[in-house]
Amino acid sequence: MFSIYAILGVSLNLVVGYTGLVSVTQAAFYGIGAYATALIAKTAGFGFFSSMLIGAIVAGLIGLLIGLVLSKFRDDYYVIVTVGFNIIAYGIFMNWHSLTRGPLGIVAVPRPKIDLFGLHLDFNNNLLFLALVLVFLALIYFLARFIAKSSFGRVLKAIREDEKAIQVFGYNAFYFKLAIFVISAGMAAVAGSFFASYLRFTSPNTFVLMESILILSMIILGGLANLKGSLLGAFILVLLPELMRFVGFPNEIAAEMRQIVYGVILVLLMIFRPSGIMGEYKL
Amino acid sequence: MNIVPQLILNSIIAGSIIAFLAVSFNLIYGATRFFNMAHGTVAIFGGYIAFFFFKTLGWNMYLSAILGILAAGLLGYIFDRIIYLPLRKRKASGMIMLVASIGVFTALQSLIQIFFTSEFQTLSDISVHDRLYTIFGATITQTQIYILIMAFIVAICLIIFLKYTIFGKAVKAISDDEEVAKIVGINTNKIIGLLFFIGSGIAAIGGIAVGFDTGLNPTMGMKLLLHGISAAIIGGVGSVYGAFIGAFVLTFVANFSIFWIPGEWQEAVAFVLLIIFLIFRPRGIIKR
Amino acid sequence: MNIIEVKNLVKNFGGVYAVNDLSLKIPRGKVVGIIGPNGSGKSTFVNLLSGMVEINSGMVIFDDAEKLKKIKPYEIQDLSITRTFQEVRLFEQMTVIDNLLVVLTSRSVFGSFFEVHKKYHLEEAEKMLQRVGLEAKKNQLAKNLSYGQRKLLEIARALLMKTEIYLFDEPFAGLFYAMIKTVSGIIKDLRKEGKTVILIEHNMDLIRELSDYVFVMDEGSLLAEGEPNSVLKKKSVIEAYLGK
Repeated sequence: MFSIYAILGVSLNLVVGYTGLVSVTQAAFYGIGAYATALIAKTAGFGFFSSMLIGAIVAGLIGLLIGLVLSKFRDDYYVIVTVGFNIIAYGIFMNWHSLTRGPLGIVAVPRPKIDLFGLHLDFNNNLLFLALVLVFLALIYFLARFIAKSSFGRVLKAIREDEKAIQVFGYNAFYFKLAIFVISAGMAAVAGSFFASYLRFTSPNTFVLMESILILSMIILGGLANLKGSLLGAFILVLLPELMRFVGFPNEIAAEMRQIVYGVILVLLMIFRPSGIMGEYKL
Repeated sequence: MNIVPQLILNSIIAGSIIAFLAVSFNLIYGATRFFNMAHGTVAIFGGYIAFFFFKTLGWNMYLSAILGILAAGLLGYIFDRIIYLPLRKRKASGMIMLVASIGVFTALQSLIQIFFTSEFQTLSDISVHDRLYTIFGATITQTQIYILIMAFIVAICLIIFLKYTIFGKAVKAISDDEEVAKIVGINTNKIIGLLFFIGSGIAAIGGIAVGFDTGLNPTMGMKLLLHGISAAIIGGVGSVYGAFIGAFVLTFVANFSIFWIPGEWQEAVAFVLLIIFLIFRPRGIIKR
Repeated sequence: MNIIEVKNLVKNFGGVYAVNDLSLKIPRGKVVGIIGPNGSGKSTFVNLLSGMVEINSGMVIFDDAEKLKKIKPYEIQDLSITRTFQEVRLFEQMTVIDNLLVVLTSRSVFGSFFEVHKKYHLEEAEKMLQRVGLEAKKNQLAKNLSYGQRKLLEIARALLMKTEIYLFDEPFAGLFYAMIKTVSGIIKDLRKEGKTVILIEHNMDLIRELSDYVFVMDEGSLLAEGEPNSVLKKKSVIEAYLGK
């Protein structure tokens, strides 16, 4: 699970930490990836990897659309609209019964299989699955790092600092913002694909607004504009419930307790350290 | 069609409830310029407190409601004091405050979930005693009438208060320009604190109203808030009158859309409408 | 040869006419001063030219060729214009060298992913830092620089754009003597290279020293124009400054 959240964290950090756009839609893309993979794998009979690819592309396209709409807004309104999209996505997951089976979700999502060059791997084995996810995490992490360190990344940071000013120097910020948003959406979808495969089913309830908020908290905690920080944030996010169980909190309220802790951490962070643990950027 | 009067009535009632939230949200936004994401949850916190006293402890209904309002007001005030005020002092950006309020929202909602469970709780056990009246072919319950009356009273009070008292003038001054207000000698922090108290209290009326009308559930806070924000935006952010109008426009459209759109899709559609509205008419209906 | 001609330019901010029917011609290759009392519309004029603010009516003609009624900020690079800001707009949470590199790299989304001229850019940026005396601060965050250093960095950033036209909005405000010399030197160099500089300044000595031609603005329109020495002696100009 850590790896999945790590992927999500990295993808969001690119948008929030580097480009300065506070987006609460990530769970929507996460969900799109999950659902797309599940549906395609089941109905069209494609293998996991192809489904994941298609899922990422679908998410990217939808991200393009959403990004286009979002480009009309700034700051506060931007956030509200992202919240809106998350809720719309949830509504679709929940209500478009013919496509998503609504609240029942999609079950029996297959695990990946590789049948290449005489190498036969069936990822029903959890350990093997973990290895696979870690591989993808590494891929995405390095991709993100490449982006961040490139000239493109530098432009993103400039957009974050002063969007109007960077435009004076010849950059059309609109395209850059759109591009990174789409990339981020695709990455989140990959996480979703793995999630669906890991649990072998998907349901709308995972992709709620609160999930996006959790991902956001995770990267703020770990550090904005710092990819290693996102890994750290994901690590803490996954570790926290275990820690609390250890300390003796009853299981029934574990989820809520985790959210409370996150809420409080978020507030404390804003007051004392808006850039996060390893972050390089204050909101 | 027989259903139309009922829809109109429902819209008016729903509109009043949302108006509470929209107006109070605008009140706070006007002076502080940040979107308080925790506002809705504070509102239903008030509802829950009322619920606690009324249902769990069996106290008098009116007293419980008042306690709920006060509790919410107090909570809002406390949040301002310990979180938003220090941030404002540091000239924190609007984004930081917004994210902080998201944190507050998360923690508060989860807290409510722990203490009151995620199930629906209704305040309206009095449905047994609740009289039904018929107006123009539509039914309305006694509680709903109370809600309407409350909305009316609050509206009038607020308008008078803001326009004619010194406090109201100070609030307007702060909304226009906080720095200048400070220079002129207005104690902005105290007034903003009071605004949080009043605003949260008014929102709580909405929360309690919802509790009576449909029932409470922890995630309702954000839902109400988003409706409130939509109403505020439609009517014109920062304008108290606008919030009222926006609330009713919203609920009328939402209710009448039942003719074309099945119930579960309404949330999503509401947002699509809001987004379209924001794109084409961000200033809202009232010209500022 | 007029590199920029402005005709009946109007900018209205909700009832306040910041720029009111302004018409003037800016000759190529000269240092042109724009002076006037506070609120006369100088900054707004420059903002209009650089696309920061929308033109309400009127037009801007570039090089006797392009007639524009709408200017978008990212288009001014193609018009060979660059600028600095009165309030200094740097990329605060980025390093000094990054602030410079970001104006050197590819402007297209795809191009910036696969930047091929990295070494060249780095060299250019470092040379510029040396020219303005900021090499020591290369890896510092922009927000940690002193006021004067920030102004220098802004100018360095503009210089790297290598455009024909430079709009400097009060570049000397608040600078100490040594830095004033550096900036004056830069403007003189630009003039030697045949570039056009539009300079908003309040310091009359500098205007006299640096500009070839001066426009005086007042209340959004042109009050007077001419050689610096003669313009500064005009009664109407002196009255505009004192009478306000």
